[in-house]
Amino acid sequence: MASNPLTSHVLDTATGKPAVGIPVTLSKFENDVWRQISRKWAFQDTANRLRWTGWKSDIIEEFTPSKYKLTFETLAYYEGRGEKTFYPYIDVIFEIERSEEHYHVPILLSAYGYSTYRGS
Amino acid sequence: MQSEESKGNNTLGSNSSTASMASNSNPLTSHVLDTAVGLTNADGRVGNLISSEEFTPSRFKLTFDTLAYYESRGERTFYPYIDVVFEIERPEEHYHVPILLSAFGYSTYRGS
Repeated sequence: MASNPLTSHVLDTATGKPAVGIPVTLSKFENDVWRQISRKWAFQDTANRLRWTGWKSDIIEEFTPSKYKLTFETLAYYEGRGEKTFYPYIDVIFEIERSEEHYHVPILLSAYGYSTYRGS
Repeated sequence: MQSEESKGNNTLGSNSSTASMASNSNPLTSHVLDTAVGLTNADGRVGNLISSEEFTPSRFKLTFDTLAYYESRGERTFYPYIDVVFEIERPEEHYHVPILLSAFGYSTYRGS
């Protein structure tokens, strides 16, 4: 298993800056239900990649091939800025086949649109 | 709208509004892949997802069955399905919720 198998990043494309403080939940699909593995808040490192202290240890045992979901609680971010958004939260559901690889699942975010891709 | 579990060929919102109903008779359209709610036409579009009576201010979710699409093409994808959750405040407006899709990335935006 990769030592840091999953990372993410939220970039606010309207400001060109990282979106700090968004709570992000990782869930795993098992026995036909979603089970929450970890919920963290992004904190700002030099690149504002989402570093969740202890996330590696939370998930390293869990990160077997499966279906996963990252939930980004974007509403509070926009409310905190006094702005409206179309999306109360963002779910990204993805399939891990090779747990020895590293997966980067970022969001490029704006109030009325977002994108995501599988990075490495 | 649909939940992930619904399969089959029922078309939600096929009871499309007649001209005598609210002026916003087709309030929600999308570019959508092959789903249980509707099928894209030759333009890649699907409408009639919901009637104006049901389209009240609320939170909605569109689920796109992307896995079936890629499997039918013999391709892999990172996303077994895509959920887009959005808040409708002004149901008198038209909302277009498209997906720009590839096997390892997608984007969405609020169109009109």
